[in-house]
Formats: sequence, C-alpha cells, structure tokens
Amino acid sequence: MSKPSKNATPLVDMKNIEKHFGGVVAVNNVSANLYAGEVVGLLGHNGAGKSCLMRILSGAMTPNEGVISVNGEKVELKSPLDARDLGIETIYQTLALANHLNAPSNLFLGRELKTPFGNLDDKRMLEESRQVLHRLNPNFKNLLDPVSSLSGGQRQVIAIARAIYFNVKILIMDEPTAALGPSETAMVSELIQELKNQGIGIFLVSHDMHDVFDLCDRVMVMNKGRNVGTHHIEDVTKDDVLSLIIKGELPGGWTPGKKEAVQ
Amino acid sequence: MVEFFAQLRARGASFRLSKGAFHRISAILTVLILIVIFSVASPAFSSTNNAMTILLQTSVIGMLGIGLTLVIITGGIDLSVGSVLALAGTVTGLVIKAGVPVLPAMFIGVAVGALCGLINGFVVTKMRITPFVATLGMMMMARGVALELTGAAPVSRLGESFSILGQGRLFRIVGEGPHGLPSVVFPGIPYPAILLLLVALSVAYLLRRRATGRHIYATGSNEEAARLAGVKVDRTKIIAYTLSGALAGLAGIVLMSRLGTAQPNEGVMYELDAIAAAVIGGASLMGGVGTIGGTIIGAFIIGILRNGLNMAGVSSFIQQIIIGFVVIVAVYIDQMRNRR
Repeated sequence: MSKPSKNATPLVDMKNIEKHFGGVVAVNNVSANLYAGEVVGLLGHNGAGKSCLMRILSGAMTPNEGVISVNGEKVELKSPLDARDLGIETIYQTLALANHLNAPSNLFLGRELKTPFGNLDDKRMLEESRQVLHRLNPNFKNLLDPVSSLSGGQRQVIAIARAIYFNVKILIMDEPTAALGPSETAMVSELIQELKNQGIGIFLVSHDMHDVFDLCDRVMVMNKGRNVGTHHIEDVTKDDVLSLIIKGELPGGWTPGKKEAVQ
Repeated sequence: MVEFFAQLRARGASFRLSKGAFHRISAILTVLILIVIFSVASPAFSSTNNAMTILLQTSVIGMLGIGLTLVIITGGIDLSVGSVLALAGTVTGLVIKAGVPVLPAMFIGVAVGALCGLINGFVVTKMRITPFVATLGMMMMARGVALELTGAAPVSRLGESFSILGQGRLFRIVGEGPHGLPSVVFPGIPYPAILLLLVALSVAYLLRRRATGRHIYATGSNEEAARLAGVKVDRTKIIAYTLSGALAGLAGIVLMSRLGTAQPNEGVMYELDAIAAAVIGGASLMGGVGTIGGTIIGAFIIGILRNGLNMAGVSSFIQQIIIGFVVIVAVYIDQMRNRR
C-alpha cells in the first residue's frame, strides 16, 4: 500500500467541521482529509458522529462551522446535487432506493438519460444498467422488477452501481457490506481495490475491523463527535483501534509502528 | 439439468402477467361485467345515447381523478379539488360577465385553479404542513371565495358560446325523421369526453416518458432517497399540486359550461369521488403507485355504477352505499394481490 506523499493536495480536506442540533453537538471541531487512491476507514460507536460527518460531505446536511475543500478549492455543499457535481458519490447504509421503481430507474434517478426530445431513454438506461449490474453480480437478471421485490444483496448492488457508474472521484461507503453474503463481500473488497487503483479516494465507514485492516490505508476514529485519532494502518493494531473507539484514547505507552517493533 | 429448469422457469416467468397488467385487466373486466348487468336490468342502458351520457358524466370526475392521481403518487392528497372546481367556474363566469371573451375567460379560470394548486404545493413543501390539513384549508377557502364573490347566487346568462365546451358534440349526425322532423342518428361524442382523453394522454405521457413523472413516482416511493439522489423533491411536489389545481379548474369550466351557469355551490364532495376513482384504479395513498389508465377506469366504474343504478331506478341513498362498498372491496382486492 503506497503512502501518499504529504505535500500533494488532498482530494478532500475538511477543516474544523462542527454540527449541532440544538444543544447536542454531533460533530465537534473535526478535521479530516483524503488523498487520491487512498482508502480511509472511519470507525466509531453508533452516535459517534461518523455518519453525520459523511452526510455533511455528501451534501445531505450542512455544517454549522468549518471549511470543506475539494482538490484544494473551497466548496459549499448545499445539496446532494452539489456534491455529485464534484464527483462525490455516496452509498448509504439505508441504500436510499425508491422501492416502487425498478433497477434502471433507481440507478439513474436524478440524472436520467434522455432522448434528444427530452423524453426518458428507458431502453438505453436498461442497457447500461444491465452492463454495470452484470459486472457486479452476474446473476442479476430481473432488472425490470420493482426493487422492493429484490434480495438484500441485489439491492446493495444497485446502490453500489449507482455510485460508481457516474464519474466518481470521491466515494463514501457507509457499511457497504452489512447486507451482503461472503462472496458478495469479497466482490466489494475487490471493487474497492480496483477503484483505489483508478485513483479514487474512498471513505469507508465500517464496524468490521477485519475489513478495515484489509482495505484501508489510514484509519480515523471518532468518539463523542470528536476525531480522536487518524493513523496509518501500519502504525496501529486492532487493540489500539478498539481502545480509541471505546475510550477515545490510545493505550498507555503507545508509539507509532509498535506492530513492527513487537515482531 | 439445472440449466434446463432455469430455462423453463424463465419461460414461465415471461407468461406471467406483471402486477400492473393484472390490475388493468381485472378492472376492465369489472367494467364489462357492470355493463352486462345493467344492460339486462334496463334496455335503455345499452343505447348509444346513454353511452355518450356516461362519457359526459364521467369527464369531470375523470379530470379531477387524473390530477389527484399525480398528487397521490407523490404520497399526498388534495381535498380542495371540489372547491377549486367551483371557484374556477365562478371566476370564469364573473370574468365573462365583466366583458372578457369566452376563451380567454376560460384560460383565466384554469389559471385560478393552477394558482390554488400552487398555493397548496407551497404550503405543503415550504411551510411543511401535512397535505391533508393544507388542502383541507384550501377546500374551505376556495369555497368561501367562490360564495363571497357571487353572493352565493349562480352566475347566469353567460351567452351561447359559454355552453359550447360542455354541451357541444363531435360527429353529431342528425337525419330526417318520418314526419320531416329532425331525428338524431348519432348523438355525437361530447367535447368534455374528448378533452378528458387529451388530458389523460398528456398526463400519462408526463408520468411515463418525462423525468418529472419519474421523479413524482420516486418522491412518493421514498422521499428521502429521492432527495439524496438529487431529485428536487419540493419542486416535484409543487408541480403535482399545481397540475391538480389546474385540472380542477378545467373540470370546473367544463361542468359550468355544461350547466350553462356558473354555480358556486357545485362540486361539493367531488374530491371524494375523484379519490375513489384513483384508488379503485390502483393508486396507493401511501404513495409511489398509480397510473392514469387505472384512474380513468376507476372513474368509469363509478360513472357506470351511478348511471346504471339510476336507470334501474335505485335510490341515490342506496347508490351511496353501493359505491362506498365498491371502494372498500376494490382496495381490499388490491391489497390481497400485493400481499401474494
């Protein structure tokens, strides 16, 4: 795993982000960044503020304070459309699918393909969907059924396909493997590697320590709305990360690269 | 072997009817059964003349139903269409009285309906008031304005040209009778029925072929998902309510033109007939489901029931009971089918 050089411009730079709901502080002065071709794992308890932070980056929520830069340029993400225009795509934990619509309609929702007369080009959308879905899951055949009648895995595949079909540069994956079986999980891991090699930056929100250590270059842990540590994956052990998640601090006597020192 | 079964299953699946097609066929079948029953009960029912009357009677409910279908698919409801119908009709009448020619006056009427719908959409999306309450308020206000403007009196003597839209017929053929008196060979297709067809075709086109239509379905199916996918949910809803209002305005003009006078008391409880038409046609009040074809069939089921029961001499009270019963049964069958 290549470490991105420190002086390159980060793909995403979030500085001093704050979000509160009334008196409740959900995200407390958090800074995070993401480089091209890098996977950053985002860990923390439920309610630690990681989903909130990701919703801010995907434009679904506006922060009270803080600056977000994409490719070194300051941006304002007022709506999911703004984020999409910058190549920020999100796979939501809830999948965010319209249950009564079929797979192609969901895949292209909000950016439908149209004929020159401005009509929906359902034929082309079906064809494109068939290709991209087939790549992710060769058994995906019932494309014209409403997605409510599909299996959890198929629904997940649609959500993933929707994020990578368009010109994605920054991908936010919120628990992408939660609804998947072993073979589909392996497929997602493979996909993450492939996207990474294409220079796409990925934020991976996960509870699965195994996934995080397998796929991520860096890991960022949130606790009670604060960023309690961002580390290169080689510098920490699973126990260190668990300690960060639970206590909000590293175990006593921790030094970077302890793993190598022990071996 | 496994492959063989897979092939077989695939072939079987292609024969199975899609849910929408099944619903359509069962609804059309219902219409046909009703026609057969009423024809037996009363010979006059199956005459061409009566068929055209049914077309005419169903046009108004059909137009209201189409508008409501749009709103219902977004997961909302529009209780104001009956009152908006009355307001648009009376405004048209008053404007004609004030000296505006009939055609521009009718456009003003439709615009008044659209404005009411726009306000509904604004209250629902920007003020975040539930559709039921928002349109209930509009229902009272529109009716109140119509009564206030006219002093609760019908606006009459609007001239012949005002009645053309509601009373005119296409392809009317009048032959010569036995005593040299004119006799009607073919009563002609009422203009309102043609207008209904045009409205149905254009709204069906909007729903099936345009992005706005797709967004209307997506908004009703999962509003949050639609928003996250970049659909302008508020705008989509406002479009649906505005179209519902405009169609209510159009229906009002058609109805008043048919009556020859603009009456502020018309259209009471029409919204319930229109909702019933949409629901019988398969629209779900939970949103995300509904078609124009279904709603038209639903409107005709209600229209044929009313007309046939009238011809058979059934009292209007009994008619209410039967139609109420049909609504419940239709929705129940629909639910059973979806649970399968």
